[in-house]
Amino acid sequence: METATAAHTDHHADVHGHEEHHHEETFLTKYIFSQDHKMISKQFLITGIFWGIVGGLLSVLFRLQLGWPNETFPFLESFLGKWAEGGKISQEFYYALVTMHGTILVFFVLTGGLSGTFANLLIPYQVGSRDMASPFINMLSYWFFLGAGVVMFFSFFIQTGPASGGWTAYPPINGLRDTAVNLGSGLGFDLWILGMTLFIVSALLGGLNYIATVLNMRTKGMNMFRLPLTIWALMFTAVIGVLSFPALLAGCVLLEFDRLLDTSFYLNNIIINGNLLGYKGGSPILFQHLFWFLGHPEVYIIILPAMGLVSEVLSTHSRKPVFGYKAMVFSILAILVLSFIVWAHHMFVTGLNPNLGAIFTLFTLLIAIPSAIKVFNWIGTVWRGKVRLSTANLFAIGFVSMFISGGLTGIILGNSAIDIQLHDTMFVVAHFHIVMGVSAFFGMFAGVYNWFPRLYGRYMNETLGLIHFYVTLIGAYAIFFPMHFMTGLPRRYYTYANFETFNNFNFLAEFISIAAIIVFLGQVLFVINFFYSIFKGRRVEVEKTVDGYDYGNPWGTTTLEWSSPIERLHGNWPGDIPAVHRWPYDYSVNGREYIPQTEALKPGEVPHE
Amino acid sequence: MNVTLTEKEILQEKTEYTGVHPQKFALWIAMASMTMFFAALTSALLVKKGDYRSWEGFTLPTVFLFSTFAVIGVSVCIHAALLSYRKSKFAQFRWLMFFSFLLGCLFLMLQLKGWSVLQAVGMTLTENLSGSFLYVITAAHGVHIAVGLLVMLVFIVNAFKNRKDPIYELRDIINPKRQLHLELLVSFWHYIDAVWVYLYIFFFLNYR
Repeated sequence: METATAAHTDHHADVHGHEEHHHEETFLTKYIFSQDHKMISKQFLITGIFWGIVGGLLSVLFRLQLGWPNETFPFLESFLGKWAEGGKISQEFYYALVTMHGTILVFFVLTGGLSGTFANLLIPYQVGSRDMASPFINMLSYWFFLGAGVVMFFSFFIQTGPASGGWTAYPPINGLRDTAVNLGSGLGFDLWILGMTLFIVSALLGGLNYIATVLNMRTKGMNMFRLPLTIWALMFTAVIGVLSFPALLAGCVLLEFDRLLDTSFYLNNIIINGNLLGYKGGSPILFQHLFWFLGHPEVYIIILPAMGLVSEVLSTHSRKPVFGYKAMVFSILAILVLSFIVWAHHMFVTGLNPNLGAIFTLFTLLIAIPSAIKVFNWIGTVWRGKVRLSTANLFAIGFVSMFISGGLTGIILGNSAIDIQLHDTMFVVAHFHIVMGVSAFFGMFAGVYNWFPRLYGRYMNETLGLIHFYVTLIGAYAIFFPMHFMTGLPRRYYTYANFETFNNFNFLAEFISIAAIIVFLGQVLFVINFFYSIFKGRRVEVEKTVDGYDYGNPWGTTTLEWSSPIERLHGNWPGDIPAVHRWPYDYSVNGREYIPQTEALKPGEVPHE
Repeated sequence: MNVTLTEKEILQEKTEYTGVHPQKFALWIAMASMTMFFAALTSALLVKKGDYRSWEGFTLPTVFLFSTFAVIGVSVCIHAALLSYRKSKFAQFRWLMFFSFLLGCLFLMLQLKGWSVLQAVGMTLTENLSGSFLYVITAAHGVHIAVGLLVMLVFIVNAFKNRKDPIYELRDIINPKRQLHLELLVSFWHYIDAVWVYLYIFFFLNYR
């Protein structure tokens, strides 16, 4: 502590000699066991990108099977080995691909990669605090995340292959360790449970830190209604996480007891090869309740951060205040509350009491209200703004488009009666990929392009960014829009060859697969752009230099993150933390393009609130 | 330029908004999370009890009542330890911590005893769902207790190891971080003890 203070004082006395005072930050403490929220954010982001590539690649592989079920691809055998003998993906591996694609993208990319990156980066910066409530627990959060990833990745290389019973992990198939029933229900699924347990610990440790930081560690003048919408969204996301992940953990604990110690929580009268197993009394539906009590809030854990990022990016790049700030906040709150009481809409066809189904339908449809408010406000934000068509903003606008397209089918699917027809068909796949998967990705890309300068002091390449955007936007619609019209086509099937009636979808399936491959290549462009720009990107312009620190503000934002020097600084601000005097969306007011939150009100100026 | 502030400096800057230290607040959120975990398990029990016709009720072993007393004893003891710490009575603090630790261990042994009583009457882990739930929930709670004991042990070892070091004791008086960490530990123990009391009442009402 004494040395830190000394370095601190020295710096004011001798601003030019500051290189000598490099505080004992070794490679290990700086990059590996860092407790600095910005470095942890980068760790989450890069790990998330790795998982994004893996998850995307898996989908390309199973699209090969779905698009060309009768073809063989000899090159597959050379790197998948026994999983693709003769160049044809085996049935077991196909199910493993589908399962792991879901698991990886839902949890490792769009939960860990998205919340982990932006909550870590933005919460301390934008609320004005030196770091998280507990930097140590924050570091642990990343290390549990990485550990979870290592376990999951390892499961690809074991003899029976990774989990293949669906990302929802339903018993009874996943409740038995019998690999004769299903290869992936062996060790692969044990590793899945272990990986998910580590992941849940990571999400909980991260989440409680995020909430405590936002509520307790705001700078002077930063009252709750001066928080940017990113912070509101990330905080409510964390609240959902800490309240719903424990239910999944409980579900997984009971499941693993069934698997390893032969209890019967989820299993009842199982007959295999004519033998009645000893399980009695369990109910697989119980697992579904526990799973979807997390599973449904989980989709809001995915989409809310994206919504927050998009609100901020749209406002910044349209040079206009966010339209309906408080309506946005209360909409997020409404979504949070509703997210906990709609889980059974995933279970309409499990034999759920129809009267109960009606109640869940009602709550589900109620979500349309806050969602519509938010969409209206985003459009209101962009409306007649000085819109910059930067990559970040295009992705934000793309998010709104995707969210509307996917949201509309949600209204259809939320009805318990219609769900009898649509359950487990490609219509559902289209719905949730557009509204949650692709939308959240768009939000994340908007965030990455927008805050890349904050992370690395450089811009990402705009031309590559634009190509990436158009390929992704058009490609994503090309993949998922046709799925709406594959009437009655069940999802997760290995082949439809035995169903005469589905032959007329062959062309669409092939078209979707081609689009998926192109979109995947488009994402490779993003990855190249990302890593190239870390080292060679255009530097952020220096606006002013104070006490030897360079300051910039690449997008002209009002929020606190750019009141900190361009350089990464543990503690974020070299001197005192700046105080806040106004709300975060003073764009195009008083004849100015933007007024930073740190600027005091002029005499006679009426604050926004 | 890297001015590295220590965690303490970062934390001392402000806690003005809720009047609660951020880390203590974080612990409260963790408690909410753990509450959801036990709520999920106990509501799963209720659901199964409701829809499983061959649910076998059994009398809850009396041992669990004694473990309830043990766990209340931990709470009383560790709270007294905190109070003596605040009054800088470190000798008293050390012994009260030690007793809390013993009572915590006693609790775990009584839980194991409870399991063996159940085994003796034929209610094994896989015998009936009613028993399975009891084993799993008590085990899940026991893991929390064990973690609490491990952390408590760290405090005790430090306190005894440094008992003849006047500077260490002086820092006990003036070091707010050390006091904070003790408060966090005590809060956790009160919480996890209360969870057991809840679980005991819950089991008592459901296994008859």
